[in-house]
Amino acid sequence: MRWRSVDSNLLMLREFDGELVVRNDVTGSTHLLDPLAAEVLRTLIAAPEGLTAAELGARLAEGIEEQADWSALIEPTLMEFQRLGLAERASSASPS
Amino acid sequence: MVTSIRSTLPEIARGIALLYAEHPVEADEAFADFQVRIARPRGLRRWVRPQVQFQFDGTPPFHPLPGDQAFPILEWGLNWCVSAHCHQYLIVHAAAVERAGQALLLPAPPGSGKSTLCAALVHRGWRLLSDELALLDPATHAIVPLARPVSLKNASIELIRRFAPEAVLGETVHDTLKGSVAHMKPPQDAVRRSLEPAAPRWIVMPRYEARAAAARLTPLARGQAFMQLADSAFNYHLHGRAGFELLADVVEGCECFELAYANLEEALAALEGMQ
Repeated sequence: MRWRSVDSNLLMLREFDGELVVRNDVTGSTHLLDPLAAEVLRTLIAAPEGLTAAELGARLAEGIEEQADWSALIEPTLMEFQRLGLAERASSASPS
Repeated sequence: MVTSIRSTLPEIARGIALLYAEHPVEADEAFADFQVRIARPRGLRRWVRPQVQFQFDGTPPFHPLPGDQAFPILEWGLNWCVSAHCHQYLIVHAAAVERAGQALLLPAPPGSGKSTLCAALVHRGWRLLSDELALLDPATHAIVPLARPVSLKNASIELIRRFAPEAVLGETVHDTLKGSVAHMKPPQDAVRRSLEPAAPRWIVMPRYEARAAAARLTPLARGQAFMQLADSAFNYHLHGRAGFELLADVVEGCECFELAYANLEEALAALEGMQ
């Protein structure tokens, strides 16, 4: 299953000390993301073709020596993003 | 802001004469931003258990209150006028004071002690910008003054009387929805400088706790400060993207703290130590 962020033009981001404040134009809501969630969202925004949780994990793990079960960490974040309207499951076809 | 206030109630006349003595008075025919009236509702109730009603443009926006609460209902009604209409500003439920051109924003829910701190600070050389409603100007990001009486509640009334014997307080009204209430007159200097905005420099979330240890400022992450400011704002949702940018810029330019306190002098010492 692939995930992608909603249209990044609809998101306003401001980082404060690793945390990210995000406003979603569609819902009108503002959210505070911890550093991990912030990185997940930024990685999704940088990959408009969408990413699987494993691919996301691999990108987050780049440059980090410690082993971690990134998928387990990321899945709840993705589900929460979906609930908040920040990310969605990408269809199997790549966006044109 | 110009407000036209009509009332035949003597406690309204006394309250305005005492607590708005420094405010300029406009001619009767002058344009008023708000037209309000404080009156007794009609009917038998008027004789059995009198009430007072706040009217805005001839319509009561909320229920009447017991008859001895005329001045509090005027003040709460004026707060409503501003928070419900002045959307040219981003309005945060916060006290705001200024020192040397730098403003301290004290956003907090009722019961946190912000008005007590605000009243004490203006008797320690800080300029009153606002007790209840901090008006952030989206164009300049500065706080626009709204120097009106400071609303003191319950134990804070005697606390401020002892702390600042020179403070001018209006009549204490008991058994309101907020307990006992008395309003403190804004200092003359604050009223005269009502056209001088001030840039926010500090955001402090105060929290009165009777059992708090020695008062001290604890750094607050800016992301948390942003969210608390947005939650405290009456009209953040109306400002859309501009409101987000405004709050983000304000938070970025401020040092942000939490302040748990039990002792007023200790709290003031902590705030006065901010550079």
